[in-house]
Amino acid sequence: MISSKFVTAVTFLYLFCTVLYFSYLAFRSKKLGSLAVISTWVALTLHTVAILARWIESYRLGFGHAPLSNMYESLVFFSWCITFIYLLWEVKLKTRIVGAFAMPFAFLTIAYAALSPGVSDRIDPLMPALQSNWLHAHVITCFLSYASFAISCGVSVMYLLKARREKPGQPEGGMLSLFPTLESLDALIYRTIAVGFPLLTIGIITGSAWANYAWGAYWSWDPKETWSLITWFVYAIFLHARFTREWRGKRTAVLSLIGFAAVIFTYFGVNYVLSGLHSYA
Amino acid sequence: MSRKPEKDLISSLGEALSSLRLTIGLLIVLAVVSIFGTVIPQNAAPEEYLRVYKAATYKILHILGFLDMYRSWWFVFLLALLCLNLIACSVGRFRLTWRLLSHPRERLEDPEWKSLSPKKSLSLKGPLPNWISSVRDGLAGRFRAPKVLEEGGTVHFWAEKGKLSRFGVYFVHLGVLVILGGALIGFFYGFRGNINLVEGETASRVTLRNGGQIPLPGFKLKLEQFTVSFYSTGAPKEFKSVVTLREGDQNVRSESIRVNHPLSHKGLSFYQSSYGAAGVEKAVLAVQEKNSGKEHLVEAKMGVKAELPGGHYAFVLTRFIPDLQGQGPAFQVMSLEPNRPHENFFVLQNHPEMEDRRPGAYRFKVREIVPRYYSGLQVNKDPGVPLVWTGCVFMIVGFYLTFFLSHRRLWVRLSNQGKDTLLEFAGSSHRNRIGFEQEFERMFQALREEMLHPGKHSKERGEQA
Repeated sequence: MISSKFVTAVTFLYLFCTVLYFSYLAFRSKKLGSLAVISTWVALTLHTVAILARWIESYRLGFGHAPLSNMYESLVFFSWCITFIYLLWEVKLKTRIVGAFAMPFAFLTIAYAALSPGVSDRIDPLMPALQSNWLHAHVITCFLSYASFAISCGVSVMYLLKARREKPGQPEGGMLSLFPTLESLDALIYRTIAVGFPLLTIGIITGSAWANYAWGAYWSWDPKETWSLITWFVYAIFLHARFTREWRGKRTAVLSLIGFAAVIFTYFGVNYVLSGLHSYA
Repeated sequence: MSRKPEKDLISSLGEALSSLRLTIGLLIVLAVVSIFGTVIPQNAAPEEYLRVYKAATYKILHILGFLDMYRSWWFVFLLALLCLNLIACSVGRFRLTWRLLSHPRERLEDPEWKSLSPKKSLSLKGPLPNWISSVRDGLAGRFRAPKVLEEGGTVHFWAEKGKLSRFGVYFVHLGVLVILGGALIGFFYGFRGNINLVEGETASRVTLRNGGQIPLPGFKLKLEQFTVSFYSTGAPKEFKSVVTLREGDQNVRSESIRVNHPLSHKGLSFYQSSYGAAGVEKAVLAVQEKNSGKEHLVEAKMGVKAELPGGHYAFVLTRFIPDLQGQGPAFQVMSLEPNRPHENFFVLQNHPEMEDRRPGAYRFKVREIVPRYYSGLQVNKDPGVPLVWTGCVFMIVGFYLTFFLSHRRLWVRLSNQGKDTLLEFAGSSHRNRIGFEQEFERMFQALREEMLHPGKHSKERGEQA
């Protein structure tokens, strides 16, 4: 399949982009930064082509469907969402340094899809439960929210690194000098979650609406559902702590890390550790 | 003496209920116990638990309600407490919000000016009255028409935008409560059951999960046909039950029920949930004339006379046996050979050689067995569902107001500075301060440009026109 070869190519491109962002961080050269940005846009374009190619291939096989239906396809799409959301933030924030903490997520996700023998890249026809338009709305909103949370996690790591090194009254040196101020990192953690949280909510709602059509119950306390709710609780705690108890900085950064751990468990843990209705991805 | 502590108890209880610490604590506890709920299988059979847990552990988990945790009294109690907390917090905060918005600070005193950020000032040539209209028009064009107050020679301008954003959080909270209300209605006034029907059968009752039965309200459901189709890979493509709804002697609706396409009628929803074989619908048999060796393929329905082309021989499949004495599927056939007594014999699918030894003019081979299906329909009644979706809409609207809008206020004051005028410009936003500071800066720069070089702008405008 051509699309799988594309995905492998994109995997190596993302590795290249990640290395470039790291080099930019290490050598603080503007040229490296620009190169990283350009390669990432190129990689995202190719990634989009890979997804479209797989879509077309599924039609050639006679049971066409959007490539959002199994573990492999969801990983490829998740990686796409991370890169896409990250690049939007980069355009908005006009800073490139976050890339070093966002692109590793995009790379690792697609690398897992492309290289793990446990994740099959076969295109299978849709089983009856998956034949629904809710599939698109549900998967897209969920993975856009996961991607926002991934970036929030990356920024939290940046915050904690910087907060640990930075001593009051002492000018920071080395790669940390490129980091945005602690205050703007803290704001960015919040802003990425402020995007991810409504998207996660819509993802859960579209999932329930779909479950109500397919299984006849909008909520069954299935492990996937429950873990998405646990994730929702963690970010709800984040928002309440920040809005009304005025938590800032380290504590909210740690909450964002816990939140992303819950995201990862919702996505992988539930499939590999627990069992339930939601067994496709 | 004894009254005072009581009152304290009540007020401190109220205080505890409306504290955000309780909210965060409850969310943490709910998250943690939910983890247990996903690790311990819920509502499984006792044997299954005993395979994993020791008998004592099983008993403890059972008593503590961990095996049906989401319906256990303490989980429901936690949810109820969260609701109370949410109501208490929201009502308390709503009052503050309402007061803030209904009594806006249209004119700020000096100390309040000092604490505001962002803030800018500008010296303007000429006396104050010359500038009033241009400040008002500038704000109206770029933000919103301001309220103008004059007091002691100073002119105050005030404008606000995005007031609704402050109500976003209440929409979200209301949404949560409405959803839980919908769930409660579903719990008390809804039910979930099953109907299993073989093709051609009619059901008038639903079997509930607990084994009880209730009648369908005023109608009957007949399964006309059930079909399964497969992809070329062998994976199932579609499960479809074609049903007819009958009221009295009348067919009122004829519909198909597929996965993801339930049927709703009179508040009940029917979902395609399972299927299976229930006997045999028909079989394809190869019937050979022993004399001529000529073979005919005959499709025979169970219990219906099947004729060979030409009509000189007929037979009936009278019975199907899934496994005849360990030899596999078999049909009991009644042979209706003319001028001979009717014969009864078995034809085995897996042993066609047995037919060679049987006397008679015809030999049977079973080519294909078409099973008769039963279709399992899940039947739900959940009057809470519309409420749940309403709550979801509230939440989404609330998120939009909360995260994508912000309540922004602008204050401008003009005061005399000798013969000239001092303009002070300040603003505040209850959220997204960084974005607001940029907006504020843009507005200030445009306003400044307009006031310091008015000719240029009107000229430009003239050119554009």
